[in-house]
Amino acid sequence: MTFQEIIFALSKFWADRGCLLVQPYNSEVGAGTFNPNTFLRTLGPEPWNVAYVEPSRRPTDGRYGENPNRTQQFHQFQVILKPSPLEIQELYLDSLRALGTDPNKHDIRFVEDDWESPTLGAWGLGWQVWLDGQEISQFTYFQQCGGIDCKPISGELTYGVERIAMYLQDVDNMFDMEWANGIRYGEITKRSEWEWSTYNFERADVALHLSLFDSYETQCKALLGLSDERAKGGGLIFADADPLKRLVLPAYDCVIKCSHYFNVLDARGAISVTERQRYIGRVRLIARACAESYLAQREALGFPLLKQSSSRVNATAP
Amino acid sequence: MANDLLLEIGTEELPASFVAKALEAMPELCTKLFEGARIEHGTMKAIGTPRRLTLIVEGVADAQRDISEEVLGPPKSVAFDAEGKPTKAGEGFAKKLGKGAADLRLVSTPKGEYAAVRRDEKGVRSAEVLPELLARLCATIPFQKSMRWGVGDYSFGRPVHWIVALHGESIIPVEFAGVKSGRTSRGHRFLSPANADIASVSQYTDTLRKVHVLADPAERRASMYKRLLEAAQMANAELIEDDFLMDECLSLVEEPHVVLGGFEESYLTLPEEVIVASMRGHQRYFALREPKTKRLLPLYLNVVNTANDPQTIRIGNDRVLRARLADARFFVEEDRKVSLSTRAEKLAGVVFQAKLGTVAEKASRIRTVAEALAKRANARADLALIGDAAALAKADLVSLIVGEFPELQGLMGRYYAIAEGRDARVADAIRDHYLPKGAYDVVPSDALAAFIGTADRADTLIGCFGVGLVPSGSADPFALRRAALAIVRIALEGPCDIHVLATIDDAYNAYAAMDKKLAPLSDIRPKLDEFFRARLKAFYADKYAGDGVDACLAAWDGGSLRDLDARMKALAAFRTRPEFEALAIAFKRSYNIAKDAPAGDVDPKLLQDEAEKILAETFRRNRPAIEAHTKKGEYEAALSIVAKELRGPIDRFFETVFVMVDDTNVRDNRLRLLASIANTITQIAHFHVLTTQQTP
Repeated sequence: MTFQEIIFALSKFWADRGCLLVQPYNSEVGAGTFNPNTFLRTLGPEPWNVAYVEPSRRPTDGRYGENPNRTQQFHQFQVILKPSPLEIQELYLDSLRALGTDPNKHDIRFVEDDWESPTLGAWGLGWQVWLDGQEISQFTYFQQCGGIDCKPISGELTYGVERIAMYLQDVDNMFDMEWANGIRYGEITKRSEWEWSTYNFERADVALHLSLFDSYETQCKALLGLSDERAKGGGLIFADADPLKRLVLPAYDCVIKCSHYFNVLDARGAISVTERQRYIGRVRLIARACAESYLAQREALGFPLLKQSSSRVNATAP
Repeated sequence: MANDLLLEIGTEELPASFVAKALEAMPELCTKLFEGARIEHGTMKAIGTPRRLTLIVEGVADAQRDISEEVLGPPKSVAFDAEGKPTKAGEGFAKKLGKGAADLRLVSTPKGEYAAVRRDEKGVRSAEVLPELLARLCATIPFQKSMRWGVGDYSFGRPVHWIVALHGESIIPVEFAGVKSGRTSRGHRFLSPANADIASVSQYTDTLRKVHVLADPAERRASMYKRLLEAAQMANAELIEDDFLMDECLSLVEEPHVVLGGFEESYLTLPEEVIVASMRGHQRYFALREPKTKRLLPLYLNVVNTANDPQTIRIGNDRVLRARLADARFFVEEDRKVSLSTRAEKLAGVVFQAKLGTVAEKASRIRTVAEALAKRANARADLALIGDAAALAKADLVSLIVGEFPELQGLMGRYYAIAEGRDARVADAIRDHYLPKGAYDVVPSDALAAFIGTADRADTLIGCFGVGLVPSGSADPFALRRAALAIVRIALEGPCDIHVLATIDDAYNAYAAMDKKLAPLSDIRPKLDEFFRARLKAFYADKYAGDGVDACLAAWDGGSLRDLDARMKALAAFRTRPEFEALAIAFKRSYNIAKDAPAGDVDPKLLQDEAEKILAETFRRNRPAIEAHTKKGEYEAALSIVAKELRGPIDRFFETVFVMVDDTNVRDNRLRLLASIANTITQIAHFHVLTTQQTP
């Protein structure tokens, strides 16, 4: 199965089961979780079943295209099932069958792996899924997002598309894996890995990125009307109590930008250990402000998606 | 009548630590619930797999125990007023037991008349109370982290899918986490996904075994171990046993299967520990070695949940391991491009502790303290190597491979040191200064490693005490207790003695020379002295009697640890001698009486009784030898003289001489005699704190 056939197969599998198929987000994200289709939509009571590919950037993981298993950009296939159905593990195993992998012929294990994103103020419990010793997916029950308890709980399935493709094609080097039509992954990404690694580690302008971080943080707070004051219990204070007056989605894009610039600065070695925590705390704060505002907004709108009748995924394709 | 009870909670894959803790808690929780509900029961056993937590209780009574009792309340004067009518307090008491004022009666007790209520309650059938009890049990099982799922408001370690609850053959209707109980359990997720009905409690484990689930961890472990040994034998190899891996693998499978895999021989040029760490830490594979040469083989054993197609499983796992080993080789090759001494410069950027500076600074202090230790131990030859050993001891902490496998610290430093042609003892010290790593680990056999290891720990101890990071209760984040204990063991079991207080002073001065702000030495020193004494007390607790340990510690000056040990040994030997009991009592008496002795020497002219003359003369004659031995730390020899020479005279003295006579000169002289004996003996051990069978 080629790289692109895997994406087709997973897309078809989850679309057939009632997931909305959406496209990758158009800003730099470190994981599919950052996409507002996960981070914001998992908040609040509205059902939400969605699947998408997310090209994810991890500047510190870049290896100039020389490491067979590590790259600064890779693809996640992200599925959110909200609320998480009881048969979610079976659905997941069925999706492996859709990739031609018979779980009875392989060794499949659910190995404890709790997930936490300090910048997003999010955490969940779940597993890494091992296929014959290879981690191919992350499986997480979201417990908290943006510091807010998730209710209902979303199930997040994240497939490592490159890993799965390497496995199915039996290749040791990611760059040798076939994307489609005889074109190798490396033919498309190798130069880009070198350029981005060079940029992230050597060339990215530190002063520019520091100032971009500050600017987007300021912009985010302005779009939300977030005050620097805190309520007595530490609660956030917004200039306008009406959440519909806040521009939550553009504000959340600022969070994504800040997180990305932080990652570049980190790769560039421009952030010391002590500063690190402070930067993470700054991103977490604005992420939380977006989460609270989004939830308040949806509530003000009467949680429109609650009215949708198809609130559940189908266990089998129609 | 009684029947066995079964509760099985079926879940999604629970983490290993969750299962272990839940299985430990379930019998205890259930015992409490049954006790509260007056349900008699027999033995309880909790078993489980990653997908099920099961409690089996033998002989659970079919009905609650009846109650028939008189409950005493307040005294008559409180429960009734002057006219004999129940007071508010009396009524309240009756109400608490579900009764009315009319049920109050009076009973006489030895303490007077009291209000009482008679309670006779017939126990209801267990079937009526068990559903509620078991639901409560499910809800109270503790997990490190609980989770919610779906739309539910309940939480558990992982989502709950089914519950089997049986009392004998009957279903106990339990409702928990949106699941209703039945008798239907489930088989192995892949090998037997169909449902499995449990006919009765006694058939539980057999039924599950048929559907590829070994529910009892002990049985699963035995089966896994057997299969590992068989697979090793088939491969003409010897299994490298590993308790951590046994526990981990056990918790990942419901029925253990073993698959053999391998890797290219070219990777065997890596240090064996690196290969084992790659296989163990990341992939949980067991390593194998050649039975005769004991060398690592390019093979591994993988415990899996299903093995319908071992070849497919092997191909996948081999590929993963190949990538891991390629990574490890890359790390080692990269590491070797930089010399250890250049790498050590990076330690200037690694924080040891915020207030105590960097690891580079620590390394420089280790050198100072280790040199002082070597000088005190008269190990001139080692001095030349200490500089290198201290400078390189921590260098591998900033290597790529130790970044990936922290457990290889020291070991990789040694490997790199040998590779760049460093002195073999320096290389060994880089590895061995971490010894002992635990209570059962060996101590360094070479003095160089012992000096570096002691200096490293002393530096941590003084630094942490100096900035107030003192262990309290179970919290000891810098493992200071372990560090102190390691110093003790290095001194006693290693190549050279260590002086505790002198080492504390050296370590303190090393900080002072760097202008680190620690609390004054006069504050830290007594605290650390006390800290070490507490560790020593614990260390000796399982070797010698507690009072003997106290007696020796009290006489010890906080210096040489081997000196303390000699006292312990000598006293223990002394205690086995027939003279011990009588002498110990005599010394205690001497000490107690002589506490008020006036200063001055014994005047031979004032000695009157024969017995005191003999005692004084015997002591005068033997004292120089006893004290000479004591001074040289030859406590056995000193106590041997005491036993041989003093026993008779001192016994006779106390039998025949009355000390507290009216003549003050004679009395004071006798007190001085006893005081001088007590003083000499106390130099060895504080005999007066020993427990004796008779009291003096």
